[in-house]
Amino acid sequence: MSNHIDINHIAKLARLRITESERESFEREMEAIVGMVDHLPDIDGDVVLDPKNVMSLREDEISGERFARDMLLANAPSVQAGCLVVPKTVE
Amino acid sequence: MSNELYQLPAYRLAEMLRNKEVSAVEISKAAFSRIEKVDGAVGAHLALSEESALETAAEVDKAIGAGEELPPCAGIPVGVKDNISTQGIKTTCASKMLEGYVPPFDAFAVKKLKEQKAVITGKLNMDEFAMGSSTENSYFKPAHNPRDLSRVPGGSSGGSAAAVAAGEVPLSLGSDTGGSIRQPAAYCGVVGLKPTYGSVSRYGLVAFASSLDQIGPLGRNVRDTAMLYSAICGHDPMDATSVKREYPDFSAGLKGDVKGLRVGVPEEYFGAGIDDGVKANVMGAIKELERAGAEIKTISLPSNEYAISAYYILSSAEASSNLARYDGVKYGYRAGEYDSLTDMYEKTRSEGFGAEVKRRIMLGTFVLSSGYYNAYYGKAKRLQQRIYREFAEAFETVDVIATPTAPTAAFKLGQKINDPLEMYMNDICTVTVNIAGLPAISLPCGMAEGLPAGLQLIGNRFSEGTLFKAALGYEEISGGFPGAAEIG
Repeated sequence: MSNHIDINHIAKLARLRITESERESFEREMEAIVGMVDHLPDIDGDVVLDPKNVMSLREDEISGERFARDMLLANAPSVQAGCLVVPKTVE
Repeated sequence: MSNELYQLPAYRLAEMLRNKEVSAVEISKAAFSRIEKVDGAVGAHLALSEESALETAAEVDKAIGAGEELPPCAGIPVGVKDNISTQGIKTTCASKMLEGYVPPFDAFAVKKLKEQKAVITGKLNMDEFAMGSSTENSYFKPAHNPRDLSRVPGGSSGGSAAAVAAGEVPLSLGSDTGGSIRQPAAYCGVVGLKPTYGSVSRYGLVAFASSLDQIGPLGRNVRDTAMLYSAICGHDPMDATSVKREYPDFSAGLKGDVKGLRVGVPEEYFGAGIDDGVKANVMGAIKELERAGAEIKTISLPSNEYAISAYYILSSAEASSNLARYDGVKYGYRAGEYDSLTDMYEKTRSEGFGAEVKRRIMLGTFVLSSGYYNAYYGKAKRLQQRIYREFAEAFETVDVIATPTAPTAAFKLGQKINDPLEMYMNDICTVTVNIAGLPAISLPCGMAEGLPAGLQLIGNRFSEGTLFKAALGYEEISGGFPGAAEIG
């Protein structure tokens, strides 16, 4: 399995920008880390879920805390008329 | 000479409150006075909440005056790691990304502390987004080990361990995804518990790796740690992974005893990567257990060889997903200038995250990406099952498993920060526990070259009672754990 990791492609997927000055050391570090995790043995079989450990979901109802809109928007970087302001999302 | 309030254990402070030997306000003032004296050098606290703390303490004193019965943690100072949401108090995860973020709600664990009228002193320093093992990845400042200020306190709950070791607080909350409570507890010479997965609600814990994260208690002794664990464990409908289960009060009537305790010692955890001094201390502790009546049995956990790789694949994959929410839209840092939505996302995330966080997001994105998923993530998941089964088999013939908590004692600040892989090796004894969802406690077991070494006891799921009993037994045999550090 090749250790080569396409930094540009992965950064784009992760919405990260690696600057030119960071690039060389970043590539080196990533290759080393991927090299470390590369050595996993081939294990057969499916991942089996534990029948005793059932995740029970609650009803889709609002229970407990309710929040006022302005309380939730208090941490927003840019708000107008109770809405979040962001760059144009649709051309 | 331990007659200063800040040096006393939480359970002793609780007794004194009920005997009216001291007031809650006096206890709180002593904590804040200690913090003022030493935290400049230690760097454990990122934010203080003195006003609300003294208000809570005053309420406790009023209740005492009215003859009301007090919950166990009433009036006791507790520090809270800064990735645990506290309503109205900045919760930054030690990151630029959340520098000014103030949660509108309390984490479940914080709610439980407030119900008991524990006194929250403030928020504790950590590696950014819980990624790291030295607290050097904190955006704001590193923390220092109270036992030797030139050394790291460990991480990511470095502030939580340092605050307790320095006598700033008797109790603190940390979080543990791959060892982040236990390893700093070992480095700082305090007790730290990573609870069974699902026993403490993750509601309000800023997510790193959702299938591995757990909030847990730190203290200078086992009884204090059990007291805090009892306060925070329990089912929470707001966390779908929280297990429906009744828990006893773990500190009530807690007796230490190791007679007949079956202790498994896995040879794979005592290999070449473990420092000789640490190994000697841990083997010494195991011998003491044996002398006190425990049965020692050599066992094998062969998947330990691959555990670090599996851990970094699983945790980074989940982290890349969990940290996708930091986009500058609804909360947190937003880049100053951008010319499109995508540009805003990229600049915000590149400017807001530190280097280690970016590395983990990149690794996680890579292992989940098309063409690589089966080779990495798929394999890691199957390895997780194997690790789970190995532990299950071991627990058929032993009650607890004893290992070193960390391969070395605390290293110097700056020593490993430029070598991510070397830093990752700090976790080799702790990650399997998170992978298998088991509880584990770290206990001080002497010094290696003047620095604390840690003994880790791993238990089966929901066996915290067994762990506390064995841990207290060891605490008594060893003559007691270190008190608050002398500083300055």
